[in-house]
Amino acid sequence: MSDIGSDGVLAGVKELSPVQKTLAHGLVFLVLFGGWELGSRMGYVNELIMPAPTSIAYRLYEMFFVTGSIYWHYIITMYEATMGFIIGVSIGMGLAITAAISPVFRRYWAPYAVVFNVTPGIAVTPFIIAWFGFGWSSKIALAALVCFFPPFINTLTGLLNIDKDATELFRSLGSTKKQYFQKCQIPSALPIIIAGLKLAMTGALIGTIVAQFFSASEGVGILMQRFAFRLNMDGSFAALIVMSLMGLSLFTLMEYMDYKVLYWRRHSRMEEVSAKRKKQWLKQNGDMSQA
Amino acid sequence: MAEDIVISGSGLRKQFNENVIAVEDANFTIPRGSFISLVGPSGCGKSTLLRLISGLIEKSEGDLLVRSNEVVGPRSDIGMMFQKAVLLDWRTSIENVLLPDEIRGTIDTDAKKRAWDHLQLVGLKDFEFSFPRQLSGGMQQRVALARLLQTGADIMLLDEPFGALDEFTRERLNDELLRIVEGPDITTLFVTHNIQEAIYLADQVFVMTPRPGRIAAQIKIDLPTPRNIDMTTTPEFNNYVQQVRDVLSGHLDGQPL
Ligand SMILES: Nc1ncnc2c1ncn2[C@@H]1O[C@H](COP(=O)(O)OP(=O)(O)OP(=O)(O)O)[C@@H](O)[C@H]1O
Ligand SMILES: [Mg+2]
Repeated sequence: MSDIGSDGVLAGVKELSPVQKTLAHGLVFLVLFGGWELGSRMGYVNELIMPAPTSIAYRLYEMFFVTGSIYWHYIITMYEATMGFIIGVSIGMGLAITAAISPVFRRYWAPYAVVFNVTPGIAVTPFIIAWFGFGWSSKIALAALVCFFPPFINTLTGLLNIDKDATELFRSLGSTKKQYFQKCQIPSALPIIIAGLKLAMTGALIGTIVAQFFSASEGVGILMQRFAFRLNMDGSFAALIVMSLMGLSLFTLMEYMDYKVLYWRRHSRMEEVSAKRKKQWLKQNGDMSQA
Repeated sequence: MAEDIVISGSGLRKQFNENVIAVEDANFTIPRGSFISLVGPSGCGKSTLLRLISGLIEKSEGDLLVRSNEVVGPRSDIGMMFQKAVLLDWRTSIENVLLPDEIRGTIDTDAKKRAWDHLQLVGLKDFEFSFPRQLSGGMQQRVALARLLQTGADIMLLDEPFGALDEFTRERLNDELLRIVEGPDITTLFVTHNIQEAIYLADQVFVMTPRPGRIAAQIKIDLPTPRNIDMTTTPEFNNYVQQVRDVLSGHLDGQPL
C-alpha cells in the first residue's frame, strides 16, 4: 500500500523515517493478518465465516497454478466488463456530444438521462436478464447501463464549461464550430471526461458481476456464488480477491491513460513532451534562428 | 482626406437589457496608426465598446464602421488580447502562436517562420516549446501578444492586457508594446483603469463614464514620441492626468457609489 500524501488523510500523523515507516506498515500487517490467522487456527473464528488467510492464499494458488480453473472465468468477466464499458461510454459520450451541440436536444431529451441515472441501475437487472437472456449479452448490457452516466454527465459538463475568453478568442479568429469543437472544447474537457471514464470502469465491473450473480454459467461472480452455496468460504474469498485484482488492473490502466493523455497537468510530463515536440519541430523545420 | 479614418462610431449604443445601457451615444473616429487609450471606472462599458468593434457582439443602435464597412462580425484585420492570456494549456508556445494560421488554413513554412520570429520579438527565445503552465504570467502574456501579431491584424484591441501583472512587468511590457505597434500601420485601442498608463501610451485618451456608458471626453496627448518614463513627472504630463481626473470626478460628483 502506498501512503496517502502527508497533507491529506494522514495529516497529524508524526513523520517517520522510511525505515521506520516500513517497519510500522509491516507491524500493522502482521498484527492484522497474524491475529486473523491465529484466531482461525485456534478456533476463535469459525472457518465457515472467516477462513484463515493462508487457506485463502492456498486456494488462490490452486486456482491460478494447479488447476488453472480461474483463467476462463477471469477472461470472460473482463471481456464482459470491457465490452459493457465500451458500449456504455460510447452511448454516454455520444449523447453528451449531441446535447452539447444541440440546445434543443439538451433541453428536451437530456433530462431523461438524469431520471435514468437516479434509478438504481442494479434494480433493472431482472429486466435485463429477461430481455437479453442468460448469456454474456445480459452482462454486457447491465455493465453498459451502470457505466453510461458518468461519461455522459462529465462530457456534457466539460464541453459546456469552456472559458468565456477562450470562446471569444476562437470567434474573433473566425473559427468554425468544428474547429472550435476539435481544438478547444474537446481538449479543455478531457480531464473531466477521463475522470468520468474512471468512474465508468468501476461501474462496468460492478454491473458485470451483479448480472453474473443473478444468472450465469461462467464468470468470477458466479464462481464466487457457487463456492458460497457450497459453504466453501476460502474459495469465495479467493474469488473476491480476484475481483479486487481485476478492479486494480482496470484502475491502473485508467491511471496510465490519464498520465499519458493529460500531459499538461504534470510538470514532469510537460518537460518530456516539450522536449519531444522540440525535437520533432527541429527535424521538420530546422533551426529557424539560423536562417 | 487629411487623416485616414479606420474606425468610426456615431450615435453608437449597446443595451443589454432594460436596466443596463453599457454604451450610450458614442461618437468617435480613430485615425490609422494611432494609439487610443480607453480609460474609465469598472463597469463603464470599455470591454463592451471593444467587443462591439471586434464584431463579437451586435450594437443596438447607431453606426459603427471599420474601414468604411458596417461591422457585422469578426474580421481578420482585427485582433484581440485580453487580461488573461487565454492560451491552450496543451499546446507549446509556438503551437499557440500558430493557432490563427491553423484556423485559417494558412499554415506553412512561412507561417512557422513568422511565428518563430514573433516569439523572438516578444522576448521568448528558448521558450518556444514550453507549455503555458511552465511560464510566468508575464511570459504567458508575451505568448498572447505573439499570437496577436501572428494574426497579421493591423487593428489591435487590447483589453487590460497587462492588468493582472505586477507593476514592473507591466511597465516593461507596455514599452515593448509601444515599440511593436509604433509606426503608421497599426491602430491600437488599449483599455486600462490606470490614468497614468493611459496617458503615457496614447496619442489620444478616451475617458468613459458609467451609467450609462458614455465617452465623456477625448483628450489629445501632445507629448513627444517615443515616450519615456521621465516624461511622467513633467508638468505637461500631470496636466493631462488632472484633465482626466476632472472629467471623471465631474461626472462622479453627486452620484451614488
Ligand atoms: N453580456 C452581458 N449581459 C448583460 N450585461 C452585460 C453584459 N456584458 C456586460 N454587461 C454590463 O454592461 C456594463 C459594462 O460592462 P463592461 O464589461 O463593458 O465594463 P468595463 O468597463 O469593461 O468594466 P471593467 O473595467 O470591470 O472590465 C456592466 O454594467 C456589465 O454588467
Ligand atoms: Mg472590461
